[in-house]
Amino acid sequence: MNKVRNLLVLILLLAGPLAQAHIASNGFLTLAVHGSRVSGSIELAIRDGELAVGLDHDGDGRVTWGELKSSEPALQRYVRGHLRLSGEGGQCPLSLGSLKVNDRVDGSYLWLPITGECEAAIKRLSIDYTVLDLEDPSHRALLALTVNGAAQTAVLGGNAKARVLELNDPTTWSAFVEYLRAGIWHIWSGIDHLLFLLSLLLPAVLVRRRNGWDAAPIAAPAFVNIVKVVTAFTLAHSITLSLAAFDVIRLPSRLTESVIAASIVIAALNNVFPRVTEGRWRIAFAFGLLHGFGFASVLAEMGLPQGARLASLVAFNLGVEAGQLAVVLATMPLAYLLRSTDFYRRGVMPWGSSAIACLALFWLFQRAIL
Amino acid sequence: MPRDRTGLRCVLQRRLGTLTAAALLSIAGLSLAHALPYVPAKEEAVLAELSAGTRHADLSARRLARGRVDVAIPLAQFYIEQSRLSGDLRLLGYAEAVLASWVKQSPPNPDVLVLQATLQQSRHEFSASLATLDQALGARPKDPQALLIRATVLRVLGRYAEAGAACEQFSRLVEPRLAALCIQGLRGMRGHLESAYSSLSQLSTQGWLNSEKSWLYSELGEMAVRLGRNEEAERWFQQDLRLAPTDCYVRAAYSDLMLRQGRPKEVLSLLRGQESHEPLLLRIAIAQRQLHDAAVEQSSARLRAAFAAEFQRGEAVHRREQARFLLEVEDQPNLSLAAALENWGVQREPDDVLVLAQAANAAGKPEAAAPAISFVRAQGQSDTRVDAQLFARSASR
Repeated sequence: MNKVRNLLVLILLLAGPLAQAHIASNGFLTLAVHGSRVSGSIELAIRDGELAVGLDHDGDGRVTWGELKSSEPALQRYVRGHLRLSGEGGQCPLSLGSLKVNDRVDGSYLWLPITGECEAAIKRLSIDYTVLDLEDPSHRALLALTVNGAAQTAVLGGNAKARVLELNDPTTWSAFVEYLRAGIWHIWSGIDHLLFLLSLLLPAVLVRRRNGWDAAPIAAPAFVNIVKVVTAFTLAHSITLSLAAFDVIRLPSRLTESVIAASIVIAALNNVFPRVTEGRWRIAFAFGLLHGFGFASVLAEMGLPQGARLASLVAFNLGVEAGQLAVVLATMPLAYLLRSTDFYRRGVMPWGSSAIACLALFWLFQRAIL
Repeated sequence: MPRDRTGLRCVLQRRLGTLTAAALLSIAGLSLAHALPYVPAKEEAVLAELSAGTRHADLSARRLARGRVDVAIPLAQFYIEQSRLSGDLRLLGYAEAVLASWVKQSPPNPDVLVLQATLQQSRHEFSASLATLDQALGARPKDPQALLIRATVLRVLGRYAEAGAACEQFSRLVEPRLAALCIQGLRGMRGHLESAYSSLSQLSTQGWLNSEKSWLYSELGEMAVRLGRNEEAERWFQQDLRLAPTDCYVRAAYSDLMLRQGRPKEVLSLLRGQESHEPLLLRIAIAQRQLHDAAVEQSSARLRAAFAAEFQRGEAVHRREQARFLLEVEDQPNLSLAAALENWGVQREPDDVLVLAQAANAAGKPEAAAPAISFVRAQGQSDTRVDAQLFARSASR
């Protein structure tokens, strides 16, 4: 008998391979700090309010607005007992306003305005949140805290019932670092941008003669060549990256990805069958514009944080430049030293470039046709 | 070399997945700003319906459960069952509360552990669930329930060989019909879809419990979908719906079938009134989008808020839904691809392969789905929906 009962439960549990479920119990704590005052609101699902204080007075399994309204004092007491705000000077007494209702995806929520008056201007806000801690351990408060226009978020409840939040605006800097890293990471992982640049830089340490490549006699012109190409590429992709990031222009990703591959083929082939030997920076600039759209698609995936759009864009671009510069610094001195060897002039130049062209041709095929 | 590149892309995209969600969060924050609290016009306005076991008065039973494991176990089972039927995650929290003190007990009761593992599985905490099951099976090696959950979790993770071993052990302990469901379901994932389907569809269901029939029909419906036999799939789903009219799982699967067939109006009528259930709201939004219905805006805003809340909690139960939302409602193939890749890193069901293949195609980066496609091929898994995606990709030249 026990086995049958057990199996009944088991089948019920697993009739679908994976139970799908809607969102767990969330409370919403929206607070703003102005000097010594914290103000905002707390929102709890009506069902969570029922669990906390009992709202269904007539026991008919439904909570009406009338029932909720009459529970206002009980709810205010409950919130005061389960939410504690403190600044450096100690606990900030809470006053709670009158009830309203807010509709969210999983039903109606009760909404209570909160004001906390602290003793001194708040630099560090401690929050203790113990709503439903015994009744539903999966309940969490999603906190959105605004200080001087900068927002930060945190989750309270579960194993983190108490949080201390530093209010000196840590978000902008961490976002900056995040985007800087993403820029560096992108230039290193998406080797197509680097191959394009390298194809243009390989001949920079050489001089084109009638029947082949010669080593550039002195460092200065080689250095100028490198600077011109890198600068042109940087300028061009910065322009289009900014335009795309602020939604001025948008190109389909299949097109830009394909043209980027094509640009590598052209730049590499130009080393094998030279057409443009002077002013390669023009190629760098023209195609750099398209590479900028490639960077932009990465940025679009990340999104730019509200309130720090420009800073994040600059950070991402700086990251791209830093990553690119690191590669140029690692390869170009070597190229300069090797420039007069046959290995470089007859090996790396034609065969290395051909290999790059083949690879890029394959990408072009993959991106444009497959 | 190109494979290498794809690999790097994948890493980058997976990393970006988290940032993607952060981006969504800020969008959701904006859209939420529009919803303003209000004072209802009428005293009688009903704000919430309370299901069994969710009233303040029911807390007394829960307090009793804190001291008595013979109360705690059936009560937790009740909440878990109700949660599965209604799709209400809160009830899992209630089950957790009931079990809380008993989970910490040493040595823990194996029944408590099995329920705990079920909770973890429902929240897509798969490795935690497997660890708990190991503990339960260590204490009671022949626990059919633990073995079946183990098989289910491993199947979701695409670890079919281990799932098969768990199914084998399970089969020796239960009636042949349950054994068949576990074993054939798995064979259907491993290159024997056709024969698994025909052997399951020939079973006589005389004397079966409704819950068992429902399990059979949803398995058959999904197999028929993968075989491309849409009329048969529809019949299985309808049979399942007759047995369990409120079952969220089959509603979602049936809706997906109709959405692929371009029948959005029927989806809207099937799912009417189900908006509070996130996965079903997704299907509603896709149907509205297909119909160019302006109501899609409201559904999208609600879904965005729900995904943002989930992200902020640090849980991502609905990664697959998020990828589909970004692709089929928001028209953001690159973001969708990032979410689908992240989802693929966690779970490997046929629907996970499908959404990844669709997102990769739409983003113009079909190579991003290559790891999933080679996984599927290595298993001999067949799915006409995925084949159609691969065909679309080669036909677009």
